[in-house]
Amino acid sequence: MKNKADLAGKKLPAYSFAVERGKIREFAAAIGDMKEIYLNPERAALAGYPDVVAPPTFGTVINLWGGMGFIEMCDYLNLDKVRVLHGGQEYEYLGDIVAGDVITVATTVSSCEEKRNMYVLTLESSYVNQRNEEVLRCRHIVLELK
Amino acid sequence: MPDFDGINIGDEMPVLRKEPLDQIWLVKYAGASGDFNPLHYMEEVGRAAGHGGVIAHGMLIMGFMGQAVTDWIPNRCLKSFRVRFVRMTRLGDAITVTGRITGKKVTGGRGVISGEVEAADQNGEVKAAGTFEAWIPLG
Repeated sequence: MKNKADLAGKKLPAYSFAVERGKIREFAAAIGDMKEIYLNPERAALAGYPDVVAPPTFGTVINLWGGMGFIEMCDYLNLDKVRVLHGGQEYEYLGDIVAGDVITVATTVSSCEEKRNMYVLTLESSYVNQRNEEVLRCRHIVLELK
Repeated sequence: MPDFDGINIGDEMPVLRKEPLDQIWLVKYAGASGDFNPLHYMEEVGRAAGHGGVIAHGMLIMGFMGQAVTDWIPNRCLKSFRVRFVRMTRLGDAITVTGRITGKKVTGGRGVISGEVEAADQNGEVKAAGTFEAWIPLG
């Protein structure tokens, strides 16, 4: 696909996502990780959290339910969705994400490299809460096979 | 978990064994995460893409890896977590997560440990491999 190099530096539309107890519970259940701090506000409080806390990979829920879905993202970045694979994911944890938070996400395509048999795109996101504290950074590595 | 002095390079994390994946896992994860890529629930799409059938979400496997790490280290201690997806996970695969400590240091009066974590199937084939760092209070 031509002009992929133009993707580097492209920003995705910013969005906000309200973190709810029920969504955290649903996500924890989908992984099968039923820690009390994900499910029970009293137990979360005993561990020092203001409400139930999000599991370490919950950032993906914020991306996909708050922002573009997979198919919209492929269309926006001009990727052929049938050839797209997830190459990797990196999180840097700067603070807690708990139920009741409203998280605003800004995402930029930080690089797009052409390899022999694929393109490798890196999407970098910054997650900021309602107190303007950056709580999470994420690098999402997207592969498009040639 | 042990305190900083009790953690040594080479220490193994407790092993996490997940049950074999069936379609219900993939449907639940699709809904919970919002990843509705049809590769994960439409057999014919997975086959047309050359995967021989549906494949699991990479992020589900990373979720298992995060579960294993936070079974051992409190969530709040986690500083970073990075995973590369190496091979496809298919229906019937039973994922086991293992990990070990690869480094420890003191920075700015705080303890930091680093580790590696791997998710492999019932045949020992690695599906995803990653690293993590965690803040560990000094004793």
